[in-house]
Amino acid sequence: MKAVETKGLTKIYSSSFGRKKVQALSDFNLDVEAGLIFGLLGPNGAGKTTLIKLLLGITFPTTGSAKILETDASDYKIKSKIGYLPENHKYPPYLKGEEVLKYFGKLSGVKGEYLDRKIDELLSIVKLSQWKKTKVKNYSKGMMQRLGLAQAMINDPDLIFLDEPTDGVDPVGRKEIRDILLELKNKGKTIFLNSHLLSEVELITDRVGILNKGKMLREGTVNELTLKKEEYKIVVENNLSSESVFNSSAFTKISDGSYSVKVTDLKELNKIIDQIRISGNLIKEILPMKSTLEEMFISLINEAEK
Amino acid sequence: MHNIWITTLYTIREALARKVFIFFLGLSALAIILTAVVVNVLNDAALVSGVNPEYNSMILEEIAASIQLIIITPLANLCLLLAIFSTASFIPNMLEKGNIDLLLSKPVSRPQLLFGKFLGGFLVVLLNLTFLVAGVWLVIAVRFGAFNFPFLTIILSVSFTFAVLYSIMILLGVVTQGSMAGMMVAYFIFLILSPLLSAGRNQLGEFITSDILKGIIDFFYYIIPKTAELMGNITIDLALGKGINNWQPVLTSFAFMAAAITYAVYIFNKKDF
Repeated sequence: MKAVETKGLTKIYSSSFGRKKVQALSDFNLDVEAGLIFGLLGPNGAGKTTLIKLLLGITFPTTGSAKILETDASDYKIKSKIGYLPENHKYPPYLKGEEVLKYFGKLSGVKGEYLDRKIDELLSIVKLSQWKKTKVKNYSKGMMQRLGLAQAMINDPDLIFLDEPTDGVDPVGRKEIRDILLELKNKGKTIFLNSHLLSEVELITDRVGILNKGKMLREGTVNELTLKKEEYKIVVENNLSSESVFNSSAFTKISDGSYSVKVTDLKELNKIIDQIRISGNLIKEILPMKSTLEEMFISLINEAEK
Repeated sequence: MHNIWITTLYTIREALARKVFIFFLGLSALAIILTAVVVNVLNDAALVSGVNPEYNSMILEEIAASIQLIIITPLANLCLLLAIFSTASFIPNMLEKGNIDLLLSKPVSRPQLLFGKFLGGFLVVLLNLTFLVAGVWLVIAVRFGAFNFPFLTIILSVSFTFAVLYSIMILLGVVTQGSMAGMMVAYFIFLILSPLLSAGRNQLGEFITSDILKGIIDFFYYIIPKTAELMGNITIDLALGKGINNWQPVLTSFAFMAAAITYAVYIFNKKDF
């Protein structure tokens, strides 16, 4: 089942009197399978928030179509199965923590004792139980984020959109939020995560999309995206001394007995392995080289900017 | 209906959190207390002196109705001014970035949100007016033993006038996402335009000789809500139990309100946030 599906989604914002036009999304296609944590990365202004707003019917597409949980995004009733934590969310300042959850719970169609139980359960999960009687205008940024997360889960949604969920949260709080998200995933929920904290996305997402200027640059698993094609790390028992091996390809010494090698194909890699073995050296490890998500992201964005 | 009701309840909650509504209630309570003090010092014997004792109760009833009107008419106008001021921010607050995103992410349709806000604002003003009018009515009624029930219909006429002006604030709130334009237009219609058009058509009609000017006045008279008539003759006639003699101001104002709300829903349905 597809949790999110877009086809040719385009959004052009026009300024007053249509003098200035900004293309926030351009012919955007995306499929996200249910049960995954999908991370959408991109620099500021890439179109990440616009995409979520289009999926939730907060903004309307210029052209193209969007579906959530295999239902047209314009059908507001499907939102009973959706949770959303917007970036810079605002709650009525005169409400207390538990009242905020009650308000949005009721709007989501949750009622009665179940709602009361759910509120207590969620406040305990996000560690705000002792603040439930405090007005939200007295909450810190981190507390607001945690309350926002509880709000997004109040209707036990199948699909949760989180826009910068760890913004303003301390490292311990971030870890706690990550654990909550993983727990939700284990329960079969789909999580659509917008973030610019690449290290965090790397830790929890199953698939990642990289968006820039309204276009998807790449999409895949973290492994697929960070893999350096035709570049391997070779660890040998003794340092390589054979001139022929070094000359045959782009060899770089990483540390004692550890080298990175760029090859054109597997044949060339095997040739190098043969040469090392002929020289009498013992191979301990051969691994495909990987970059961090951050390195890959920066190089991809730089490439796109050229 | 459930979603409209939830939005309505939380709009009332929002209103109660605003100090202006507490001020509104406090003012009403003060007016009721002052009325009680004033009518208590009135001397029945002096009021009906020189009148055949047979007609005493009838005279006292008329006196009671007159005092009620004298007290309530300016207070109702003041209430309306306060109501416009205190409800003007309901729509802009709802449309604030970070809040509207959340609301629209819930299984609530846009018209439901707007109707909920309309109903919430209306009910808050209705409650306040009921407290004020019923309070003043009760004090005077008990004092003179004259229970002039038609007087209570003032609650309906003033609330209806507010609803018409509130529809303008909702429309302009959706369009501008601010409270100033709606508030200014509502005040302008209530304090200047409607009284001017009403006077231009009724009292000054015979002095206007130009047919074009008469046509222009008529055009605007019919499309602009007739708050002057609603708060004037219609409210007084209702209070005195005479009923509504001329339905035209009520019907055309109602049509204006319906059109304003429909257009607000139309724009809200198409708006990107």
